[in-house]
Amino acid sequence: MQQKSEKRQLGQRRNRLRTCRTDKRTMAQRRISGGKLFITVVYLVAMCRAVPVNDLLDRASQRSDKMHSLSTLLTQEMDSHFPPYGRMQMPRPADCHTSALQTPNDKEQALQVSESDLMSLARSLLQAWVDPLAVLSTSAITLPHPSKSSISSKIQELQEHSKSLADGLDILSGKMGPSAQAISFLPYTGGTDLGQDRVTILNKFNFLLSCLRRDSHKIDSFLKVLRCRAAKLQPELC
Amino acid sequence: MYNARMRTHLGLVILCVLSAARVCSSTSAPESPRKFDCRSREKETFSCWWEPGSDGGLPTEYRLFYTQERLREVRECPDYVSAGANSCFFDKKHTSIWAEYTMTVVATNALGNASEEFRITDVMEYVKPDPPVNVTVVVNSSAPSPFLEIRWKSPPDVDVRTGWVTLKYELRVKQNDSKEWKTVDIGSETFFNFYNVYPGLLYMAQVRCKLDHGKWSEWSNTIFAEIPKNHQVEKYFWIFVFVFSLIPLLMGIYILLLKRNVVKQCLLPPVPGPKIKGLNAHLLKSGRSEDVVNALMGNQNFPPVAAWTEQVEDFLLVSDSDEWLLTDSFASEKNKDIFIIPAGLHLGLEIQCRDLSVDLNTWEKTDDSKEEAKSNFLNMEPINLPVEKHEFLNGEEMSIQPLANTSYVDIQQHPTLTDYSRVKEVNDNTILILNEEEIPHGLDAEEVKSEVSVPDDYSRVKEVNSDVVFLEKGDSADGCCKKKEDHYTDWTNQKPIMPLESELSKGFCLKMIASGYVDSGPAFSVK
Repeated sequence: MQQKSEKRQLGQRRNRLRTCRTDKRTMAQRRISGGKLFITVVYLVAMCRAVPVNDLLDRASQRSDKMHSLSTLLTQEMDSHFPPYGRMQMPRPADCHTSALQTPNDKEQALQVSESDLMSLARSLLQAWVDPLAVLSTSAITLPHPSKSSISSKIQELQEHSKSLADGLDILSGKMGPSAQAISFLPYTGGTDLGQDRVTILNKFNFLLSCLRRDSHKIDSFLKVLRCRAAKLQPELC
Repeated sequence: MYNARMRTHLGLVILCVLSAARVCSSTSAPESPRKFDCRSREKETFSCWWEPGSDGGLPTEYRLFYTQERLREVRECPDYVSAGANSCFFDKKHTSIWAEYTMTVVATNALGNASEEFRITDVMEYVKPDPPVNVTVVVNSSAPSPFLEIRWKSPPDVDVRTGWVTLKYELRVKQNDSKEWKTVDIGSETFFNFYNVYPGLLYMAQVRCKLDHGKWSEWSNTIFAEIPKNHQVEKYFWIFVFVFSLIPLLMGIYILLLKRNVVKQCLLPPVPGPKIKGLNAHLLKSGRSEDVVNALMGNQNFPPVAAWTEQVEDFLLVSDSDEWLLTDSFASEKNKDIFIIPAGLHLGLEIQCRDLSVDLNTWEKTDDSKEEAKSNFLNMEPINLPVEKHEFLNGEEMSIQPLANTSYVDIQQHPTLTDYSRVKEVNDNTILILNEEEIPHGLDAEEVKSEVSVPDDYSRVKEVNSDVVFLEKGDSADGCCKKKEDHYTDWTNQKPIMPLESELSKGFCLKMIASGYVDSGPAFSVK
């Protein structure tokens, strides 16, 4: 009887988690229940004393830098033991689920985008990778690859960074205006399963990692541009 | 005519064939280019190179066409020149980051063309900046230790100000003659203070940078720096060491002076003087030389006697029954010193010689010492000494107190003791034979000094020679006891027989000489 009730509770909890992702209210719940030091400190400090936006941006860009570094290492680690099956046969970057998002592609374009738009782009990209990261995380455990444990740990770290960065950007965007808070919806349609056979699984894994690397670099670049733009009084940051 | 036409045709054909053959053997359509590589220095432009294949002997033209991820149209390379031969340079307008390029290089010559497709997933994968420039090093010689101030500048064309690019640096330093570099991750700063340097050595340093987690650049130019030797510091150092080593030295001397007595005792302990038992050091110090000589040597009338230790077992016969003594012809023949002790007397105790400093005067007068000798023999001054254990013999107790520093025996007798033997016979050598008759006299252990009222039971000593034998435990004696050497030697040949039941754990000989010096012979165990 106890087991049944426990199972029911677990099931309920799982259901709650699933619906949480798109629900803003549950996002707030998740924020509190997440218990990350970053978010609580930032929140409290923001309540008690206004943390300058520069500081927040600095922290956010540091976290995005870490994310980009991790994703780069991941692709290198994958390539070291399993070179891509053939660049021609790999799915094209245009097939990334985030390629629909219009982003600046060079410096001039990036410098012309407004801060709110930059923030919105960053947040959208970040949001778009929550699901795929979960898929990657579960697949990494059973990945037919020699360094799957290292890969798995890096992906988990990426997930943590992604969550905390998303929370931080939520706060930042709150200070920047409504246009900064708009998030473009970029659903991941790849499903929870990467494939059946080893080759397919590895190819899909590789492809997802390359897409992730590109998008994490975008996020990093946008946030750093934002940081420099906000630190007009502190040129040493840039 | 027909033959001539045929001949010209044939010649032309041959010529054509030959020429065609010549062309076919050395020219052909070009091969497709191989190896494609690109590089972006600052995340704003990039350039690509290809390796041409065989050109087929004919001048071959290479053209590059590309399509971008976003653009539907096919474009041609905007700049074939800036990046060198067989290259294509994409300037800022034509560079798209995070976009995929599909490049097609076409090699064309007169005979044909060949093309190869290359795909660039992301220009960011090919980012490799130039090395940092203006690397300078300054030796900062400030206290407490010198260090190197190394500064550099970001490579040109890299735009760090807008935040578009994040540069991270790495510095490495090594000694001129060392093989191993010490590498430091810098971050985004353009200076570093390197402290791990030593005076008098030459160091070299290099810097490189990385753009946005891309590839590292090449190392910059090497710069050299020499740390000057700091003599002043060394001088101060030695002065410092000297002063500090002087302080404990001075303290040590001071302590030594304070406690010089203790130190003197420690280093030069007083040498113990020789101690001869029976010899009073004070006597030696204060007494006259005659006394000293007398004390040492005894009466000058005595001839010198050999060492006592040679005659160890010679002296003692102790018995409480006189039978064996009288029947022993051997004993009766010779003048032995025999001391017969009452049965109850247990001489297993420690009896030592007592210092005769007190009685020296009395002992000197040998002629008059009849009674005194007697008295002294029979009765000795009691000295309070710890009483040792003794055995019970015939139910009687005797206690003999060992006398420290005494030269004669103090035999204490309990008042109840009455077991003295009578002296029946006194030989020349004063053989005292004591019977087991009771002597009702309760001889106290008190001093009987001059005149002793000797009870009747006691034998009178008729004659007291100079040899009076006492029993004493083994103190070393001088030659006094060995007056009669020959009969001592006789004694050595014999084993002393003691048929007594009384146990004398030790036999000893004590010779009291008229000179007052009491000797004691070494002990031998007598059973």
